[in-house]
Amino acid sequence: MSMANFTVPTVTHAASNAGDLVEKVTVQNLDFYYGDHRALKSINVSLYHGKVTAFIGPSGCGKSTLLRVLNRMYDLYPNQRATGHVRLDNDDILSPSQDLNLLRAKVGMVFQKPTPFPMTIYENIAFGIRLYERLPKSELDGRVQHALQRAALWDEVKDKLGASGLSLSGGQQQRLCIARTVAVRPEVILFDEPCSALDPISTAKIEELIDELKEDYTIAIVTHNMQQAARVSDFTAFMYLGEMVEYGDTTRMFTTPTDRRTQDYITGRFG
Amino acid sequence: MVDVAFQSGGAASVAEQVDRAKVLQRLRLGDTAFRHVTRAAAVVVLVILSGIIFSLVYGAWPALQKFGFNFLIEESWNPVTEHFGAIAPIYGTIVTSLIAMLIAVPVGLFIALFLTELCPLWLRRPVGIAIELLAGIPSIIYGIWGLFVFAPFLQQHVQPFLIAAFGNVPVLSTLFEGPPYGIGILTAGLILAIMVLPFITSISRDVFEAVPPVLKEAAYGLGCTTWEVARYVVLPFTRVGVIGGVMLALGRALGETMAVTFVIGNAHRISGSILAPGTTISATIANEFTEAVGDLYTSSLIALGLILFVITFIVLAFARLMLMRLNARLGT
Amino acid sequence: MAIMISGASSPLYASRRRKNGITMTLAYLATGFGLSWLALILGVLFWEGFSGLSLRVFTEMTPPPGAAGGLLNPIIGSLVMTFIAVLIGTPLGVLAGTYLAEYGRFDKLSTVVRFINDILLSAPSIVVGLFVYEIMVAQMGHFSGWAGSVALAVIVVPVVVRTTEDMLTLVPDTLREAAASIGLPRSLMIARVAYRAARAGMITGVLLAVARISGETAPLLFTALNNQFWTNNMNAPVSSLPVVIFQFALSPYKDWQELAWTGALIITLAVLALSIIARFLGGQSKKP
Repeated sequence: MSMANFTVPTVTHAASNAGDLVEKVTVQNLDFYYGDHRALKSINVSLYHGKVTAFIGPSGCGKSTLLRVLNRMYDLYPNQRATGHVRLDNDDILSPSQDLNLLRAKVGMVFQKPTPFPMTIYENIAFGIRLYERLPKSELDGRVQHALQRAALWDEVKDKLGASGLSLSGGQQQRLCIARTVAVRPEVILFDEPCSALDPISTAKIEELIDELKEDYTIAIVTHNMQQAARVSDFTAFMYLGEMVEYGDTTRMFTTPTDRRTQDYITGRFG
Repeated sequence: MVDVAFQSGGAASVAEQVDRAKVLQRLRLGDTAFRHVTRAAAVVVLVILSGIIFSLVYGAWPALQKFGFNFLIEESWNPVTEHFGAIAPIYGTIVTSLIAMLIAVPVGLFIALFLTELCPLWLRRPVGIAIELLAGIPSIIYGIWGLFVFAPFLQQHVQPFLIAAFGNVPVLSTLFEGPPYGIGILTAGLILAIMVLPFITSISRDVFEAVPPVLKEAAYGLGCTTWEVARYVVLPFTRVGVIGGVMLALGRALGETMAVTFVIGNAHRISGSILAPGTTISATIANEFTEAVGDLYTSSLIALGLILFVITFIVLAFARLMLMRLNARLGT
Repeated sequence: MAIMISGASSPLYASRRRKNGITMTLAYLATGFGLSWLALILGVLFWEGFSGLSLRVFTEMTPPPGAAGGLLNPIIGSLVMTFIAVLIGTPLGVLAGTYLAEYGRFDKLSTVVRFINDILLSAPSIVVGLFVYEIMVAQMGHFSGWAGSVALAVIVVPVVVRTTEDMLTLVPDTLREAAASIGLPRSLMIARVAYRAARAGMITGVLLAVARISGETAPLLFTALNNQFWTNNMNAPVSSLPVVIFQFALSPYKDWQELAWTGALIITLAVLALSIIARFLGGQSKKP
């Protein structure tokens, strides 16, 4: 089964304002290898500014792998490589001349497991800001507060900014990580199963957060929770065994999927 | 046995159960005995430690009684008048170890950084093994190498340079003063640095590798450079373990005998210059013990050994505590 | 709203890149520094020691200064004392390590013993020499090969305890439970199942201990002392390779110094060989 069934979401959907779609990230014929094993096969997909794109599929289908290509996180590991093209605005980020630090400043990532740095709450946020800007303390304070507010964490921590980041609850830690990512003013934010380690209430908070954030960023979220994908995303991509099976408007994907495999996955027949 | 099992087709018969009970009864006695034997063996470890402490105190008693607290601060070491003071060996031990740590700690940490972040995968094992070989070389090899190769080299090329370079600098000129003997406190310190380097590298590398990759990825994800990840995330996270490793290396440096004995110069005095000869506790004992005549002389040497043991015990205990705390934190 | 705040030309970014470049270079330099000392030391050792290497070294005894000779008696002395030390220290260490890993894994005694053992592991070996001097030499009134062996055994024990415990702890509990489920008593389970599973690692531990004591000089200085002549008597001073190297190297005689280098080379080769075999067998090594 090949790519004959994938659809490109440009032309006809009912709900979204088709004319406003700004293509931010374009993935073309992406192949990914762990050693000799081909984990991603000719992936084609686009991410749009102001929209949330969800990647769903059974375990091992390659969705996290795809996400980690977008900020070249795989570069840390010698056995992993990618071929093809991934364009962020006009730059091919897979090219060897791409500056990785700058790329990662533009494309932020929130991980599955909350990972606050071993620093105070304030420092966790300020650390990222300081990498790129030299600000007077008052301005830095303002930026930290702003980031924490955008992550809906400010009210809960404003009196204990000096406490260790690790002293927060799981859900709070994850929001701290989101605040940290937002603080460096990226253009794209990648969420890799951000709620899988959290309780339902924290999950709901973070989904709410993503909905608020999407207006200013391009968001991609990998999730194994289909209901979450349906709630949160504008576009959904279904992957299976390293292939992009189907990709389109979320409502349409979940009500009238084109591919049989998508249908089976969504109705719970497998995965 | 198989036939019987087939015949009874399931659980053992009553007769078999009685037989089994007898066998197990016999085994149980052996079992209990084994347990007690292993327990006793574990206790022996404690006995060895107590034995060391006790025998050292016992042997050192005459000297400690005679000289009291002054033993620790007197400089003169005179076998003829039987007047012994430990300050010169103590000073030498501490200063040589200090020099060793000042060099070995930064170098060791940077090598660990290299091994964990920069070194290509295929090269990691060989380089790691090579560094560990440094630790495996017996200290007497360092001793003779130091005496025949390193010390002459320092004497001809390095020390004159140091003396000239710092000759006019106010404080440092005393530190680097004096004729270039080649042997001396600095030389001993440098050799200790090379000896101790692999310990720091090895432990630091282990703790660096134990940092959860997600944490490092989060920092890289923000756009941090490798150095920034190492300095702001890896090092704070592993701080306790690194300190433990450094303390362990210090413990080894303090107690090192053969490498130091060959190149320290064996002079029982304290001098301001690190180019001068001196002595350490272990070098003194190694050089003089077999020739020590008289109970007070021998006892003084044992007292030196006691002091060394106490110092290293404290340092090593501290090191272990740090490493235990790190393990607790990592959940191992 | 997402503003690209710094391009590749911003001064802050440039200074970050510079810092990164400097520190990464330092890391390379540090590694080169460490490795060059290894090369230097081993290089000189092989150079100096090799020229003196001949059959005579292994067949003749230590000579008086000015005469030709070999290192036969110190080599034999070292071999014998090492053998006895391993004979004494290994069972003790294995049993203690077994207790720590099997019976008393979490009890108070084990915590204390582990702590103390790790300290003994790094304790100054000259102190061990003093200890054995006090309890054996001073009591017996003379130096002896037995005392030397005991001193070496005291160094062997912590190494073997540690590796035994580490190796046994690696044996999965599922294996133990499987043994217990057929009614195998604890001690037999340990002897037949656990030891067998951990055998490679435990042998590695013994080899590492041997490598460690092969080069130890300080504990022998005032226990076994030294002996110019051949002796069959362990109750008398026995010569050993490290002590002979110590004596010969510090002497002013050229041929003694040459023998010292050769002896040093022999010890180093033995230690390297043991380490390689241990690594080959063990696979997984725990650092002390």
